[in-house]
This record gives sequence, structure tokens and C-alpha cells, in this order.
Amino acid sequence: MRGITKRFPGVLANDDVTFEAAAGEVHALLGENGAGKTTLSNILTGLYRQDEGDVELYGETVRFHSPRDALDAGVCMVHQHFRLVAPFTVAENVVLGDHRKEASFFLHGRSTERAVAELGERYGLDVPPRAKIWQLSVGEQQRVEILKALYREARILIMDEPTAVLTPQEAVALFATLRSMAEEGKTVIFISHKLHEVKAVADRVTVLRGGRTIETVAASGATPQSLAALMVGREIEVLRPLEEARQLADVLALEIEGVTVPGDRGEIAVRNVSFSVREGEIVGIAGVAGNGQRELAEAISGMRDIRGGTVRVGGRALRGGDPRESILAGVSHVPEDRLGTGLAPSLSVTNNVAIKTYRGRSLSHGPLLALRRMRDAALGIIRRYDVKTPTPETPVRNLSGGNLQKLVLGREFEDHPLVLVVAQPTRGLDVGAIETVHAYLRDAAASGVAILLLSEDLDEIRALADRILVMYEGEVVGELRAGHASIEEIGLLMAGGRGA
Amino acid sequence: MIRLERRLQQPWWLSVAVPVGSLAVAFAIMAVVLLASGHEVVDTYRKIVEAGFTGNGALSATLVSATPILFTGLAAAAAFRMELFNIGAEGQLYLGAIGASWIALQLGDHGAGSTPLFVVSMCAAAAVLGALWALIPGVLKAFANTNEIITSLMLNYVAGLLLTYLIYDSASYWRDTSTLQARAFPQGKPMPSAAEWPSFGSNVVVPLGFAIGVGVAVVLWFVYSRTRFGFEVSVIADSPRAARYAGMRTRRKILAVMAISGAVAGIGGASQVAEFSHTLDGSPQGLQAAAFGYTGIVVAALARYNPLAVCLVAVLIGGLLNAGFTLQGADFPSGLVGVMQGIILFCALGGELLIRYRLTLRRRSRTHVEGGTTPEAAA
Amino acid sequence: MNDGLLVIVLAQAVLYGTPLLYASLGELLAERSGVLNLGVEGMMVFGAAVGYWATQRVHGSDEVVLTVAVGAAALSGAAMALIHAFLTITLRASQIVSGLALTIFAGGLGLSAYFGAELHLADLPATHQFRSLDVLGLGDMPFFGPILFDQSLLVYLSWLATLLVGLYLARTRLGLNVRAVGEAPASADAMGIDVALYRYVHVLVGGAFAGVAGACYSLAIAPGWVSGDVLVNGAGWIAIALVIFAFWRPELCLVGAYLFGGLSALPFALQAHDVTITPEFLQALPYVMTIIVLVLVSTAFARRRLGAPAALGRPYVREER
Repeated sequence: MRGITKRFPGVLANDDVTFEAAAGEVHALLGENGAGKTTLSNILTGLYRQDEGDVELYGETVRFHSPRDALDAGVCMVHQHFRLVAPFTVAENVVLGDHRKEASFFLHGRSTERAVAELGERYGLDVPPRAKIWQLSVGEQQRVEILKALYREARILIMDEPTAVLTPQEAVALFATLRSMAEEGKTVIFISHKLHEVKAVADRVTVLRGGRTIETVAASGATPQSLAALMVGREIEVLRPLEEARQLADVLALEIEGVTVPGDRGEIAVRNVSFSVREGEIVGIAGVAGNGQRELAEAISGMRDIRGGTVRVGGRALRGGDPRESILAGVSHVPEDRLGTGLAPSLSVTNNVAIKTYRGRSLSHGPLLALRRMRDAALGIIRRYDVKTPTPETPVRNLSGGNLQKLVLGREFEDHPLVLVVAQPTRGLDVGAIETVHAYLRDAAASGVAILLLSEDLDEIRALADRILVMYEGEVVGELRAGHASIEEIGLLMAGGRGA
Repeated sequence: MIRLERRLQQPWWLSVAVPVGSLAVAFAIMAVVLLASGHEVVDTYRKIVEAGFTGNGALSATLVSATPILFTGLAAAAAFRMELFNIGAEGQLYLGAIGASWIALQLGDHGAGSTPLFVVSMCAAAAVLGALWALIPGVLKAFANTNEIITSLMLNYVAGLLLTYLIYDSASYWRDTSTLQARAFPQGKPMPSAAEWPSFGSNVVVPLGFAIGVGVAVVLWFVYSRTRFGFEVSVIADSPRAARYAGMRTRRKILAVMAISGAVAGIGGASQVAEFSHTLDGSPQGLQAAAFGYTGIVVAALARYNPLAVCLVAVLIGGLLNAGFTLQGADFPSGLVGVMQGIILFCALGGELLIRYRLTLRRRSRTHVEGGTTPEAAA
Repeated sequence: MNDGLLVIVLAQAVLYGTPLLYASLGELLAERSGVLNLGVEGMMVFGAAVGYWATQRVHGSDEVVLTVAVGAAALSGAAMALIHAFLTITLRASQIVSGLALTIFAGGLGLSAYFGAELHLADLPATHQFRSLDVLGLGDMPFFGPILFDQSLLVYLSWLATLLVGLYLARTRLGLNVRAVGEAPASADAMGIDVALYRYVHVLVGGAFAGVAGACYSLAIAPGWVSGDVLVNGAGWIAIALVIFAFWRPELCLVGAYLFGGLSALPFALQAHDVTITPEFLQALPYVMTIIVLVLVSTAFARRRLGAPAALGRPYVREER
């Protein structure tokens, strides 16, 4: 790919990027969130069209007008957010959109299922072909995505941040699969922002920063520090785990006793979970998505019913199922879905800041809104939390991920909560924003807020949490203290092994 | 190559320029249709303008046509702004008419004389019944998550049948059974004379109903843009999930908005009875033929759900309707008004695109790089 | 026995249910691709008008004229649907408002009335119409005869249509693709499926079905043309509700269509048999039933989450950031 440039409204995503990968190699595309890696790969797979530049495949210039062209040319991508159809079976998903001339008019369920099963065996990607996607775990769903590419006899496979949703053990298995595919002569492009993974699986690494290519190096010769420096352009602290838990007063802000929470499909998502969080303590919940963490957070914040057990905030038990009750009790929730749940996308920054507090005396005169005071409140948050926005009236959907997160965090902190439930706080953020968010969390804890941190990023949890709980299939399967939590142990617990 | 890019900011003048522009486009398309069916374009348009606005007494007649659709337009706007698609303004208007005529007849029977009393009580009764009728789909939506489009629509047909029943197939309170002729050719009882609502002005006659409607519009505008209630509505409309997250009571809002919407439509029914028909008109040529409810949706959509704009658009469409009545005949085919409304709405919908997105022209440039590539390079 | 009330009602249920079946099958196809088309009522009325007009203009044997008429009705429905498709797929307008606009534009107070008035359709007597076909002589069979074997060709074709739509969706590759478009357009797009194309095609075909449904009225049930809203009288809206009632499955559309067809036919049949119930009450039954059915279905699937194509009602934009 040569001289690729791509613009979006307000953003230059790729700026004259040049990138090349060879057959039979695993080539990593490294860069922090927002560096332009996903955009570049979307161009390669035909989802976007570049504004300038050329793409060459095996020496020939190609022009993709749609994903179909790319697929026909043998380029397949496994996206970060899977492109699967949830109600369909595995086999149906694999076969979907097969445009080859031999593809039959009628669907042959059984022979397709057999073919999918065979393919799975060959590459060590076992998934039951008849299962519906929504019944599978995230790791299994990823395997379906890879099977889709293999079924189409892809020559170039792009993996976009694949390990975000895997346990450490599953990640290792994935790397083995990718290496075997490379040995067969395929080209694997591995997009990531995680340094040690890139070193573990790749032959060569190309670093992107701010939409530009910085350098291409051999993985063997690079160290995490050198890669980090290239990625961010300055010396940064690689996230180091907390040495030991801080000393804290024994005042319980959040008590969870035997709590059971229902899931979306009527099943039990959280099963008889008990733990507590002290004032000023950061408790991290580690676990791959889909093990009940989201449901637990929603139960505490009132967005989901509590079917059994008690949730106590500041000593007072919650009835559950009522967000207003939780808010009044002092719970603040920073949801993982910032723009879909935590904010109203088309409304202005000002309105979003007021979304919980508009009822209070400070922002309204009886039934009327005090518009100027709302604006002032918003300006205050913009200033104090460094939220970059053209005006307070700008619709929040125009803000970048990092600024959205700062906005939501700022809004929640200003409410002086007793308990702060934060889910995936730094997902999709660049390094600078990540540092800022971590600093806010530490400050909040220092001022006495009890923080429940849900994160799939083990480095983050180990760096912030005083105590780490691991959830697996709705239960807490282990508790580790800071300084005594190795990645291997956590990984084992995440995969279901029982720990100390 | 032409590309569509989402706009980051929406300049205010666009909200006015685009609807006006789409109206112009609509008239152009309409002209083509007229030509294609052998009608004279300029002449037809001139006749429409004259019959609707400029002719002798035309504006007054237009205000008469505009009043009911002002109410149903406000009703639609009030609900649609929260993404509640209340298609039932038609039926809610009928119920309002039923309620208003009932109380007018009751008061008349007991000898009440003052017009202000009639005005207030008729509006109140109409609002109550309209709100109740709208709460049926409202409750079903809030508690059973039932699609309000279909339920409110079905209730339109039920309301129409109720109306027919009251006048045609029963000896109901509303039915006039006083004379032999009235018994043979079913019709509603005439309203007491004191129940007739006054109107204002001499050159241009403004019905009280229209004035009430404008008042309602101002109140709605204020509530939706300056109060906590309106704030909650805007959040729920944008993201029901975020509204719930913030602790808002979404269900109560749904009920409240539907009730308001139905009440407003109901008052439109009261206006019809008190100002124009002076009886509960259950005939097929009466309330049910006029399609006030559906026309109100057109008005609301064109006004982009802004209550103040609804007033203006109601007058515009009212003028069109009025012209349609006046000019009906061989020269001015029936159905023309519906066609015009449809085309105007289509153009307005298309124009929406320009408000939300921007057209950009981009030239694809190529960069040629000399030199060979590594033989093994794949991408 | 074949003159009994039950048999007559059932036979009429099939007759009146047929336009509902066609219209709901068409809407089902459109909704499966993710597009809600509320203009069904308008498309039906227009199809009725065009079909009737065709019988007046084309000369020839019954078979030829009626075939052309049905074809014309289908094309007219598709033409109306094209407007909706263009607005909602290419111009990304609100599907709900666009559909409503289409009903107002094309319906009994709009284009159809214009068309009918210009061509004086109401004054022309019906020249060709679909008559009942006595299939294999079984029309006199006790009980089932009049219900199943003595109906018009349109009825039998509707059964074929139901079968074909069902097969298409469940068993063919194209059917799989369109279901993916309706459930997860982003995934379908990434797999190389042309989302816009599939949506256009299915909305147009849905419109064609609606046009044929309209023709059922003017060419079979009540041959002739009446201006205004009386001909179809809300059947288009019931058809939309039917799709939900049928959980987006063709075979259940058939069941629902006949159920509601029966409810529509009930008042007349009862009257003919001297059973006196207030006519308005009976006439209101289909609409009330629709509401009740819808409520039951909504609560059931709020809990089970089956049925609606996940992307129904939302425009698909590829380059959205």
C-alpha cells in the first residue's frame, strides 16, 4: 500500500501511509488507538476507499470498490467487532455471501456443516457448526470469523486487535494458529496496540503514529521499550502493576451479598456473588466479556433487576432495577458503551452534562430549566477535565473517544459519588488519554470514592487495583491482592480454573 | 465522484432554506404531473393561490380549513418529537368531537347560557376523551412494548365506526330524533346556539379555534424547549437507553406525551363541532371524509415538528385544501390535493438529507511510484 | 351443508384473506431486508385502480386481459414502492414518515383518486373479472369444497406465492443473504453482499405484491372501482400488522390472513343469515383483534426476542464514523 491518504469529516486518518507485507509472514501493524491502523485495513478490505494512493496485491495494482472485490481477491479481515449474524448458525455465517461461481442456488445444510467441521479440525478451530452465534463465547465467535476467511481460501488474513476478548491461554492458541497459517504461505497482518503480543507472534512490525508510518522493524530486534517509543513518540511508562495494596480505612461503601442477576435471555448471568469495596479502594474485576461483569455493573447501577441477595451502598440496601434509586444512593456508573448508554449522541455537551442533574436546584427553577447555569456547569467540566470540543453546543457524537470518556468521567466525578462503577474505561483511547483517565481514577480513589473497575485489559487492572476479583460464568472464582497477582494466575482463573 | 458526508454542525438557516427549497421542487414536480394529464399549469396554480389566499374571503375560508389540521398537526408534532408515532390523531379528534358535543348538549339541556362556559367545558371534555383514546396505544406501548403505529391506527377505524354507530345505528343521546325527517335520515342533534364559538375580525375572520390552536402551539413550544419535561423528551427521543441510565421515567413520559397529543387532537374535534358543523357529524361525508388526522401528520412533518412552524404550515396546507374544495370540478380533479401533499412531503423528506449531510465533490488522484517491488510482496 | 353459515364464512375468509395474504407476503419480504414500508395501503389502492383500468383498456379473452391487468397492478405497486425505496435507502429518510407519505400520496385521496377521476373509472362497468374455478370438479365436496376448491385463480396463486416465499427465505442462498441484510447489514456488507441492492429489490417486489393485493379487490372481490378509501378500507394496515403477528414467517401469514379475512367477512355473512348484531361492532372486530393480537405478540417476544429483523427500520450507512 503506497501513499495512502484517507480523510473523514474533521479528521485525517491516514496520511501518506506506506506499508508492505510479504507472503508467508506474520506482519504486525502496531500503533495506539487512533493511529489509523483500522482505517488502513478497512481500505485494504474494500470497506473504505482511499482518497489518494495505490494498493498492490502480488505486484498488481488493485482498486477495491466494495468488500466484495477484496474478498474475491483473497483478502479477509477478522474485525474487532465481529461481523457475524447473531441468529444464524456457525455454518450459515461461514457460507454467507459466497459469490463463487460454484456456489449453489439452494443451501445444503448438512454438507456445509460437514465442510465447516472439517475445516475447523484442520486448523484447530473447533466450533459446533450447528450452534447459533449468540450461544457461543466470544473466543468461539472469533474462531468462526477465522473459519470464514479460511473457507474463502483467503491469501491475506487481517486480524484486528484479536486478543482483546481472549484469555491469555486462548491468545497463545491463536498465535499458534496464525503461525501455522503463515507457514502455509498465507500472509497474516496482525493489528494491535499491545507490545508483548506483537513481539510474541510477529516477524516484522510496522509502527503507525498519528496516521503516518513511522518505521518498519524486525520483531526479533525490538524491545517493548523501543516499540513503545516508536508508537508514542516519546518515552512513556509502560504500565507497571501495583506493588502492593494501599492502606485503607475499613469503611464499606459497597457491599454485595449473595447477589444473583438475570441475563438478557432469561438465564442467570450473575450467580450468588459476594464481595465488598471499601471507601477509597479500587477493586478490579477481571474476566473475558460475557462472564457476568456487565450484568453485575448494571445491577448495581439500577439498570438491571436484582433477583437475589442484597446490594448495599453506604449501608443502605437497594431495591434494584431503578437507575434513579442507585443514583440517589450515590452510585455513579461509567458504562462501557459511552455513546449508546452514557450519553445522548445528538444532544449537546451541555445537555449531556445535565442529564442526571437537571432536576436539582442548581440547574432548574422548578419546572423550568436554568439554561445559563447548565452552560456554566458544562464549561466547568470542559475546563477541569480537558474535554476538547469546539463549543458546549456541539453534539457529543462529534467528540473523539478520549474526550467522550473524559466528559463522562468528569460528569460522574462532579456528582461526588460514594461508589463509582467503571467499565472498560480506556477502550479505544490513545496513550495520552489513557494516562489521564488512570490519573482521574487514582485521584478519585484518593478522595475516598470506592471504585469498582471492570476491564478486559489485565495490565490496566494490575496497575490500578488494590484487589483483583476474577469472574467466570457468573461467579467470582478467585481473589488476588495487588503485588501477588501474576498474569498466569489471573489467566488461569479467567479460563475457569479454580484459584487460591 | 459525489460523496455524502455527515455534517458536524447544522447551520440554522438550513432549517429554513431546505424546506422552502423542497416546496419549490415539489411545485415544479406537480407542474409536470399537471402537464402530463393535460391541465394548464400556470392557470391552475393561479387559481389555487386565488382560491386559497388572495381571493375575496379566501383567507378566512383557509383559516377554517387550517384550524382542524393545526390541532392534529400539533398533536402529531408533540408525539413524533419523542419518536412516538401517534397516527391516531384522526380517531382522537372524533372522540374529542363526541365529548364536546355531549357536554354542549348537556349544558344546553340544563339551560346554561354563556358562551365562555361552553368554550371551556367543550375544550375540557374534548381534551379528556382525546387523551383517553390516545392513552390506549400509550399504555400498550409503555407496558407491553406494542407498536404504537398500528394500535393508534386501528383505533382510528374503531373511532370512526363508533361515530357512525352513534348517529346511524342507535338511538343515542347524540342522535336527533325530534322530527320525522331526522328519524328517517340520521343526523346528530344540533348544538345549542350559545355553544357556537365566536370569531374575530371583519376582513379576515379568525375562528376562535384557530386562536386557541396558536395558543396551544406556543405553550407546546415553551414546554418542549424550556422545561425539564421537554428536556427529558429530547433525551428519550435521542436515546431511550441513555434516558433510562440517567434515571428518567420513560414510561411515564410515554403516557404523558400520548395524553397531551390526544388531548390536542381532541380539542380539534371540539372546534369542528362548535365552529363549523354545529352538530356531531357522523355521516360518511362529515368528519370521517376529511382525513384531518392524516393531513395533520403531513403538516407536522413539513414543520419538522416545531409547534410554531406547524401554525404556518397549517395555514399553507389549509389554503391548498380550501382551494381544492372551491375549485372542485372537471377542471380540478379530485385527488389532486392528496397528490400535492404527497409530493411536498417526499421533497421535504429528500431535503432532510441535505440538512443532515453535505455533498462533497472529490477527485480521485493517483500517485505513481517508480521502481520495482519486492518479488515476494503480497500487499 | 355447503350453504351453512360456517362454510360460507370460511369460504369468504379465504376470499377476503387473499389480498391480505399477498400484501403481507410483500411486506414480509421488504421487512426481512430491513425496510419498513408503511405505504402498503396506498400501493394496494393504486394497484386496484391500475388493474381495473387495464381491464378496460386491453381487449381480448378473459385470460389475456386479466393476466395483463394483474401484471399492470404489480408494476404500479412496484413503481410506488420505488419512491419509498429511493427516499429511505439512497436518501436515508425516515422510513416511517416516508411510508406514511406514500399512503397519502398514492391512496384513496391521492393519486388513485386522481387516476380514477381522470379516467372516469367509477363510471365504467366491470368487464373482466376473476371467477371461481371449480378445481378438479371438487367444488361440491362437502365442507371443504366451497372453501378450498371453488376459489378464483388469484387464491390458488397466493398459495403458490406463500410456498415460494417460504422456500426462498429458508432454503436458498439469496434468501440467506437477504436475511443477513435485515439482521446485521454491517456483517452482510463485510461479506460482500450489496445491502442497498437487496433492499431495493425486496421493497420493489413487496410493492408488486401489494399492487396484486389491490387488484384482488377491483378484479375479484368487488369488481369495479369506487373512489375514496372504501375499497381497501384499512386492509393494507392489517397486512402490516399481520407480518408481526406471523413472526415474519410466510406460513403464519397465511393463517393470519385467513383469520382476519374471516373477521372481515363475518358481518356480511351474518347479515345474510338474519343474525342481527350491530354492524359497526362486527366491522370493528378485525381492527380490535389486530390490536389484541399485537399486544400478545409483543409481550411474548419481548421476552423471547424472536422475530423482528434486528436492523428493521434503520438506514444502513457504510462509511459512518
